[in-house]
Amino acid sequence: MEPIIQTENLCYAYEEDNGRKVPVLKNVSLTVGRGEYVAILGHNGSGKSTLAKLLNLILTPDSGRVIIAGREITSPDLTEDELYEVRRSMGMVFQNPDNQLVATIVEEDVAFGPENLGVPSEEIRRRVDEALAMVGMQKYARHEPHRLSGGQKQRIAIAGIIAMLPDCIIFDESTAMLDPIGRRDVLSIMDELNRERGITVITITHYMNEAARADRVIVLNDGEIYMEGTPAQIFARPDALTAIGLDVPQCTDLIHALRTAGIDMPGDCVTPEQCADAICAACAARGMTFPPM
Amino acid sequence: MKTLTLEHVSYLYSEGTPFEMRALDDVSLTIRGGTVTGLIGHTGSGKSTLVQLLNGLNRPTAGRVLIDGEDIWARPKEIASLRYRVGLVMQYPEYQLFEETVRADIAYGPKNMGLPESEIAERVSEAADFAGIPRALLDKSPFDLSGGQKRRAAIAGIMAMRPEVLVLDEPAAGLDPQGRDEILGGIRAYREKSDSTVIIVSHSMEDMARWCDELIVMAHAKLLMQGSCKEVFSHPAELSAVGLDVPQITHLAELLRRRGIPMPDSIYTVDQAARALTDLMGGGSR
Repeated sequence: MEPIIQTENLCYAYEEDNGRKVPVLKNVSLTVGRGEYVAILGHNGSGKSTLAKLLNLILTPDSGRVIIAGREITSPDLTEDELYEVRRSMGMVFQNPDNQLVATIVEEDVAFGPENLGVPSEEIRRRVDEALAMVGMQKYARHEPHRLSGGQKQRIAIAGIIAMLPDCIIFDESTAMLDPIGRRDVLSIMDELNRERGITVITITHYMNEAARADRVIVLNDGEIYMEGTPAQIFARPDALTAIGLDVPQCTDLIHALRTAGIDMPGDCVTPEQCADAICAACAARGMTFPPM
Repeated sequence: MKTLTLEHVSYLYSEGTPFEMRALDDVSLTIRGGTVTGLIGHTGSGKSTLVQLLNGLNRPTAGRVLIDGEDIWARPKEIASLRYRVGLVMQYPEYQLFEETVRADIAYGPKNMGLPESEIAERVSEAADFAGIPRALLDKSPFDLSGGQKRRAAIAGIMAMRPEVLVLDEPAAGLDPQGRDEILGGIRAYREKSDSTVIIVSHSMEDMARWCDELIVMAHAKLLMQGSCKEVFSHPAELSAVGLDVPQITHLAELLRRRGIPMPDSIYTVDQAARALTDLMGGGSR
């Protein structure tokens, strides 16, 4: 897979009021392939959001390199045009939908990005309509954003990013403030953007069952990469996760509990469907069959 | 242990204007004293409005709010003192810190109550313990704390008033799993030790199932359901129809049931599911 993001020995420290440097990221090296769906986990303060902000130069690293689509964006000779190109191609959706909307009408908000990129107006029209369709919000095009629900606002924020035709979208805890239906909508849009549009998706989350949807999980702890692997590989190690303040999805937790109770269970169950399969298989192995209801 | 009662409560925003919106529509319910009650509902279901009626921030357009049988608006001039008895921790309370030290911030409420210094100090320590704030942090500026620590400081500030009713709107949103468990565990401990009544608003069905005794489900400005976690989570179809959910483990139990595996009706924690399945499969026997 062609890499879209590469970081090499990325270091970043915040400076406190008294001048003391507090390291947040320590030598983080990672690669994300074009079209991949990656979840980043880690406790509060582990450096997840800082990492995200380094990938599109909202922050610049103290040392180390960031390479986006083959171009080193941390290079001193990066031109202003190239910087804007990085910001266009690496879209970002934040946690609080109220902080991300700028216009008083939904479709104007979605048009804000492409307008700033100097896209011709007929093309903007086309992109706005398409982006709103993509997030299922066409019928709200002429509405006022502040009257929408949290989930709807977040979908508008995503449409605003889609309208800039990004190669990658980073979701920084974008479901944390949403109700279950808002969360479900945003998650299915993320899946769709990745699977159908080939957009690289990076999701930062505290919800383990959201991470279970990704192709690959990167776990940060105190500014360093702690674990990396498929959701099945990561959630197969509950003790390693609880040691750093994380946990596993409830279904995976159940599988571990059954194994502890002496029941043979496969190691790669991270979704309810996979767990149901495993439990049915364990029943069958015991000669227990049940008529389907 | 204070019992809260809503009698035919309605609340209208922007009453008499074209923007009039009915946030609560004839809601009657009782929150039993001494429980941790979870309040769930989709965005705009009326949860936050309800919470703001409980401590007198808003006055019902119609109906009455009673604490132990007493109408909280019986003497409107005294409504401010109700805020010491019903403590409200709003969403993202960490943005409301303002004092020079964490200690002063937590002490702000008790100080306004006119308590003597010695009692204030005692309450600050007690609240810091419930909220999980190490003593070493008390003399720091709240603005030097991490997001999770600030959240704890804000919650401690309300607990220090020792409210008889503690209401928290999304106290664990945006926290990592350990932070969530510590804060919700501390809230539970406050309930046990202070004999108070606690109400928690949350969108996490897993957290609700784990920490609450009873649940209130709001939908479209009305009361949809009230009961134990067991009762409420045995209605997945009704919950999903109003944009809510059941815990992931409840969903798994339903999948197993559909494949013919006899799972008990009400599974809402991992322990319950594990027990049901080990009973069924007979544990270690191979």
